[in-house]
Amino acid sequence: MDTVSIFIPCMVDLFLPHIGEATVSLLRRAGARPIYHIEQTCCGQPAINAGYREQAKKAAKHFIQVFGDDEEVVSPSGSCVCMVKYHYPELLAEEPEWRSRAEELSLRIYELSQYLVDIVRIEDVGASFEGKVAYHESCHILRGLGVSEQPKKLIRAVKGTQLVPLNAADTCCGFGGEFANRYPDISESMVRDKVGDYISSGADVLLLCEPGCLLNIGGFLSRSHPGKKVMHLASFLAQHQETTNHRL
Amino acid sequence: MEVKTEQFSEIAREELRKAYTFLKAGANFVRMRREAALSTFPDAAAAQAYGAIIRAEAISRLPELLEEFEKNALSNGAKVFWARDATEASQYIVGLAKERGIKYVTKGKSMVTEEIGLNEVLEKNGVKTWETDLGEFIIQLLGVTPFHIVGPAINIPVEKVRDLFMEKIDLKEPTLDPVQLGHAARIFLRDKFHRVEMGIVGVNVAVAETGTILNVENEGNIRFSKSSPRTQISVMSLEKVVPTLEDALHLVRLLCRNCTAQKLSAYVSMDNGPKKSDEIDGPEELIVVIVDNGRSRIYQDEIARGAMRCIRCGACLSGCPVYRQIGGYAYGWVYSGPMGQVLNPLLLGLERTQDLYRATTLCGSCKSICPAGIDHPGLFLHYRAKDVSGDAILQTRKPPMMERIFFRLWTWAVTRHRMWNWGVRFVRPFVNKQPHEGMLREVGGLFKGWFRSRDLPSMAKKTFHDRWIEMQKENSEGRNQNERE
Repeated sequence: MDTVSIFIPCMVDLFLPHIGEATVSLLRRAGARPIYHIEQTCCGQPAINAGYREQAKKAAKHFIQVFGDDEEVVSPSGSCVCMVKYHYPELLAEEPEWRSRAEELSLRIYELSQYLVDIVRIEDVGASFEGKVAYHESCHILRGLGVSEQPKKLIRAVKGTQLVPLNAADTCCGFGGEFANRYPDISESMVRDKVGDYISSGADVLLLCEPGCLLNIGGFLSRSHPGKKVMHLASFLAQHQETTNHRL
Repeated sequence: MEVKTEQFSEIAREELRKAYTFLKAGANFVRMRREAALSTFPDAAAAQAYGAIIRAEAISRLPELLEEFEKNALSNGAKVFWARDATEASQYIVGLAKERGIKYVTKGKSMVTEEIGLNEVLEKNGVKTWETDLGEFIIQLLGVTPFHIVGPAINIPVEKVRDLFMEKIDLKEPTLDPVQLGHAARIFLRDKFHRVEMGIVGVNVAVAETGTILNVENEGNIRFSKSSPRTQISVMSLEKVVPTLEDALHLVRLLCRNCTAQKLSAYVSMDNGPKKSDEIDGPEELIVVIVDNGRSRIYQDEIARGAMRCIRCGACLSGCPVYRQIGGYAYGWVYSGPMGQVLNPLLLGLERTQDLYRATTLCGSCKSICPAGIDHPGLFLHYRAKDVSGDAILQTRKPPMMERIFFRLWTWAVTRHRMWNWGVRFVRPFVNKQPHEGMLREVGGLFKGWFRSRDLPSMAKKTFHDRWIEMQKENSEGRNQNERE
């Protein structure tokens, strides 16, 4: 079995650990042996987004130390993968040794659905769900990584599931990290529109691959539409396995 | 134009209350049409990428291209004036008007003339200005600022236009028919064109190798302002120059498709200096006013100068999920939407434009749309970094102390996983004070913006990190057990 190193974003670690468990479960199902470095903390996105580059550099170097020897690193988050892939080399541009390590690592880090479909070459992970689902195209996953077909392939392979169109699927949900808290009027208007589109789609569940979007849309649904479900694709696939696997 | 960039949040809130129904629907329509127009290229992505390369070269060679442009424009018989700032530019133009006894000017749409506040200065000096682009004409009569850099009056309801025209331009019969309203404006403005002695227009592209200036338009008002009067003044900000005529024409193909979903605008005019002695059409004198207004200062920052690639197509506005919610007023100055968010901070300084480079989710739509290859998200991050570290070129402040302390602590913990995890355990009981069915409705008054309309899952009793360690223990105990058995 190939080992694959998993990078669990801090948001998942602290608030949504079941997504981490689902990630492990799916990778095992796909025939890989996931390992988790306990020294990992955070990719540094909050620092770079706030303009604290020196601090972000320190986080980057720590990350590279932790993951630098891994052949493959997989994460259930697009924005974190983008951070490592695109921002680390630029952040460390003035330190040639670190920069080349960052560039090297950038070739070996994947978002989960991208890894399953493009690298492991698996689409059917043995899930089944009778119902309609819609898929929200998170900004960093779609525009940052160019990942769009992969999650949909995984969804279409789920037995009994119908993937329905979502209006404005590629429009931002209004999370943007600090943006949601600092500009709540605008953010709320955006998430309200996203939820409106979800409801009009007629889907039973909204699926996505980005923990930030999940917290944003999920948080809004919890307050205003408690019956409506939104799930991370990994959780959805792990939860709806055809055979009951024992949980972690 | 008055600077209101520090009132971003208040204005955005006001605008959101208005819940403009046209804004999202209109933006979606514009985006669809833009896609259709781009698909008329044999390879749209390549055409866009080529535009980006042209603008990248133009900006990287800007000083020499400007000198080449000046040389060729002068040999075409044009005059060239370099204006260091808004005041110099406006005063120079006022001087030209006074020398020639000009009573009024007609104006083609020009964002840079709004940037330098030209109309106010002319009016103050007894020269009447008439905006002739229909949208600009409407907002001039209303006395409001532009809502969109290309369609400044798109938010004005047609009823308001009717009332305005009846009051101010002698519209006789009330009508909501846009054709009839347009006709009323046309008759009114024809009278102004008829006797105009000085026309002031902008520049879409300036060509270094030929000294040509180029305008695209759909209404014909720019050509009227160029060909009828004796004096034509073309005002351009210094980033508008490109190396060759072929470059310029490719940008025109991109500009028209990205801006108004046309393969080409209704009128395209190119000026190689004023009328020659054997020519019938054209102004007797053509004066190009090149406006700096802080751009050579900005140019010194090799990353920030990327914002100068902008060709003013406005596609980023309808592509922006934030703009589609709040419209143009909240951006607080001449330039709105993502292009305003990258440009206003450079021209006005980062200190008083804090919200412009923070009120974005970094969704990247603008970057994916831009025919000039501007990396808006990258620029926003660059401005934030400069704002934190302090920068003389971009005129920034230093961040609040609490924020600096927070990030110092954060960095210390992020590089020490035991401290990080200990910190998580420490903070958890405070965060999870009052969970409600696993969800938090508030966290001690922090993150009020989030919690106004959203819940947050409570911090998990066991982080993934904890669970993994537990699992490893269980597995190794299990193995030990098996070995013993």
